[in-house]
Amino acid sequence: MRATITQYVPGRSPLHRLDPRIKVVAVTGLAVALFVRSSYGALAVFGATALVAVLISGVPARWFWRGLKPLLWLVGLTFVVQVLFARGEAFFSLGPIHLTWEGIERATFLSVRLVILVVTGALLTLTTPPVALTDALAWLTRPLRRLRVPTEELALMVTIALRFIPTLLMELDTIMRAQRARGADFAHGGIMTRARALVPVLVPLFVVSFRRADDLALAMEARCYRPGLTRTRLHPLVAGARDWLALVLVVAVIVVAMMV
Amino acid sequence: MTAHLPQAAGMRLSCRGLTVAYEEAGRPIPALSDVGFDVAPGASVALLGSTGAGKSTLLQTLKGLLEPEGGDVVLDGLAATDEGFVALRREVGLVFQRPELQLFAGSAREDVAFGPRRLGWAADEVAAAVDAALELVGLPAADFGERHPYALSGGEQRRLALAGVLAMRPRLLLLDEPFVSLDPAARRALVVVLRRLVDGGTTLLLATHDVDAAWGLCGERLVLDEGRLVAAGPWAFGAGGEEAFAGHGLEPPFLVELWRRLGRPVAEAPRSAAAAAEALR
Repeated sequence: MRATITQYVPGRSPLHRLDPRIKVVAVTGLAVALFVRSSYGALAVFGATALVAVLISGVPARWFWRGLKPLLWLVGLTFVVQVLFARGEAFFSLGPIHLTWEGIERATFLSVRLVILVVTGALLTLTTPPVALTDALAWLTRPLRRLRVPTEELALMVTIALRFIPTLLMELDTIMRAQRARGADFAHGGIMTRARALVPVLVPLFVVSFRRADDLALAMEARCYRPGLTRTRLHPLVAGARDWLALVLVVAVIVVAMMV
Repeated sequence: MTAHLPQAAGMRLSCRGLTVAYEEAGRPIPALSDVGFDVAPGASVALLGSTGAGKSTLLQTLKGLLEPEGGDVVLDGLAATDEGFVALRREVGLVFQRPELQLFAGSAREDVAFGPRRLGWAADEVAAAVDAALELVGLPAADFGERHPYALSGGEQRRLALAGVLAMRPRLLLLDEPFVSLDPAARRALVVVLRRLVDGGTTLLLATHDVDAAWGLCGERLVLDEGRLVAAGPWAFGAGGEEAFAGHGLEPPFLVELWRRLGRPVAEAPRSAAAAAEALR
């Protein structure tokens, strides 16, 4: 299957087995701390933590690389902007371009920080099944239900959306091939031509999706789904000693990073 | 008005050593291994095999939507590297499984016109091709041309989608499971259309699980099993032929089985209920 969007990589590592709520809290904490504390020491601590976590996760490095690839241009842009607009004494000048050691230093710092952030985030999505992730988010946002925010329903919507993304991508692939068999051309022409070329793909895709959504809603109702009720879980989330230990470790990492 | 599609004679098709693999999680999964066969111009050939045998992959490779790792597709004697091959490939029509899911235009006429327009034909030529294709599939333009595709019945949608490919005047028609999820009336109507095409001389390659429909329409059959071609040529059910069927998740056509149980030679099994009644009278 070429259509993989949810990037969960099944495994049995300690990270995989960690309570998803703990993982969400830990990754959020690390990400915030990474931006709050901007010192080389903190960067080294967070970088080392991410590296150790990657090794523990047992997820092959190429999966992290796949997550990083689309962000490379952002890293590149950050680097260029920082190099070009940095203050300090230029050691090399060409027209309006002044390279300074401060600029290069700053650009490197920001780029490394971005990479650490992405890898840390990828650790969460690569080791947590999407359903566990939405379960965790539903649990963590439970206090919002007092404000009448339908968190359970939102979590279910996200779960269903995630479930159907690969299906829709496969559908998209089939429809594009079918229209190509009728002479459609998606690769040539200007922006307008290409946008118009997508009409024979998008119309059927929408029709199929709405039909499927309709069927799914009926099927859920037939199985007695009712919104607004508190649902019980087949696999209740239970945080054990190991989960709490992991959280303590992450807090310790953050505290250390704040001090160095 | 009579349907005057297709005009040209059927195309000759050959494959040599066709090998196709999908990549899954970085590893290649073989879908077709060393598939080779010949289809004479105007022949109608059933492509049989259980789900996952590689039927859809083969059809999409023949149309050029999938790139084979190895082997050649030869159309009218021309291979992919020969001049004129691209033009020939445009004369290969492929109808996907459940093609009605790909209808998109606001009227039947517009949807059928999509393909011919993409071929760059003049407006009057497009209009003629559209009318002829609609007529051929039994949805005459006068009655159905302005109808919205989604307002048609399932069987009519299937035939409309078929018309969208026929309007491009294919000389080789590849059909992927055309009978799936049709009710008996719609299936019968589709069989009538395909019979017309066969009689009109179009080369037909029909991938299907509906072995009875295939038996009625096709003089020969190809059998795929896990990406390998295990039988080709005229139907055979005698010693060996029977095994070729039973061993690959297939069953013989009803009329063949009936003839076998009547103790009559299966080589003389009739192709239609009418022929069977005639023989038994």
